[in-house]
Amino acid sequence: MILVVDTHSGIPVYRQLVDQIRFGVASGLLTAGEEIPSTRALSASLGVNPMTISKAFSLLEEDGVLERRPGRPHVVRARPDRATRLEQLEQALRPVATKVRQLDLETDAAITVFRRLLENRKKR
Amino acid sequence: MAYAFEIHGLTKRFDTVTALDGIDLRVGRPSIVGLLGRNGSGKTTLIQHLMGLQLPNEGTVTTLARPSHALRHDELIHIGYVPQEIRLLDWMTVEQHLRYVSCFYPAWDTGREQKLLAALELDSTKTVGTLSAGNLQKLAVILAVCHHPDLLVLDEPVSDFDPIVRGRLLEFLLELVREDEATILVSSHVLRDVERIVDWVVCLDKGRVVTDASLDELKERYSEWRIVSTDGALPARFSEPYVLAQEVSGRQARLVVRQSAADVAAFRAAHAAEITVHPLNLEEMFPLLVREDPS
Repeated sequence: MILVVDTHSGIPVYRQLVDQIRFGVASGLLTAGEEIPSTRALSASLGVNPMTISKAFSLLEEDGVLERRPGRPHVVRARPDRATRLEQLEQALRPVATKVRQLDLETDAAITVFRRLLENRKKR
Repeated sequence: MAYAFEIHGLTKRFDTVTALDGIDLRVGRPSIVGLLGRNGSGKTTLIQHLMGLQLPNEGTVTTLARPSHALRHDELIHIGYVPQEIRLLDWMTVEQHLRYVSCFYPAWDTGREQKLLAALELDSTKTVGTLSAGNLQKLAVILAVCHHPDLLVLDEPVSDFDPIVRGRLLEFLLELVREDEATILVSSHVLRDVERIVDWVVCLDKGRVVTDASLDELKERYSEWRIVSTDGALPARFSEPYVLAQEVSGRQARLVVRQSAADVAAFRAAHAAEITVHPLNLEEMFPLLVREDPS
């Protein structure tokens, strides 16, 4: 999986990594049992502080996304359940909900637009 | 060894000027610490105390577990230092200077020296006295890192480097932390560079420590709220204690807030407003960092 970080973003780099890896696992880009590059390797390839990578890994361990194995690279645990994936979707849609309210549009109209976008994608 | 350096109650006066005013600071290992502050805030004076080049009027400074004014040769060989004003032996060639300095360090790594000469594009046949400011800085950096220091202190190290060389130096500093588990203290005004590599930020203002926190924590501490009122009315001035800066214009407002103390739901309810939260990068939060008292 290709990880991309922006060190000049106001979002802490560890947070960017946690979000990307979590999404990678939820979307199936990273599969159960797959090895994640080591702290050192990622620090070198992304050009970021190794402490930042360790921090991201510990959070992902705590959340049950990655599994630590002594002396070996982390591996991906099982793909999260539907409820967790829906939670991720809700988080992504939150700014859109704000936009809908700012544009002063009714819920039904917004849902119609969203439904059309989802279905268009399927037809292709 | 728990701390790379420890400072307690450090005060330094020059005649009537108080350059450092009760500094307390501890830095663990390994870590890359950014020492930030405006001109005249005391960064260089602080660094000189760590190296034992200045004596405190009050307080103590401990570097690699020794009082910094009493560092012995066998402790100094574990420290690397690039001063702001570089003074080297002008009549030597770069190569001669490297050989001369390497004699003092049993752990001198010629492989690293050669790698850095190539990466930083420094011609070792040149005479030191003829080097440009940028090339002199490169030599000073190479002289400070080839003995695998446990503590590396860089005072404005990259100011004269072009962006490519600067990028390579930053990569190398990260390598020092990975390979040698070194602690690096870097003072710089180039906040984009600092932001790329540091995990900890210390800010000085008028000789005092005004920020001492991890970079991640700072990015989570402050944010900008862009606000649009849903009923057309916003106060002329927001009085919430967590609002640090504000700009109100009609139905819109832009606030800089202490996110960790803010209550989004209460704010939204009180002002009938939609809030979009934007994080702040180091450059954007710098004015907050140098003004703010952590107490």
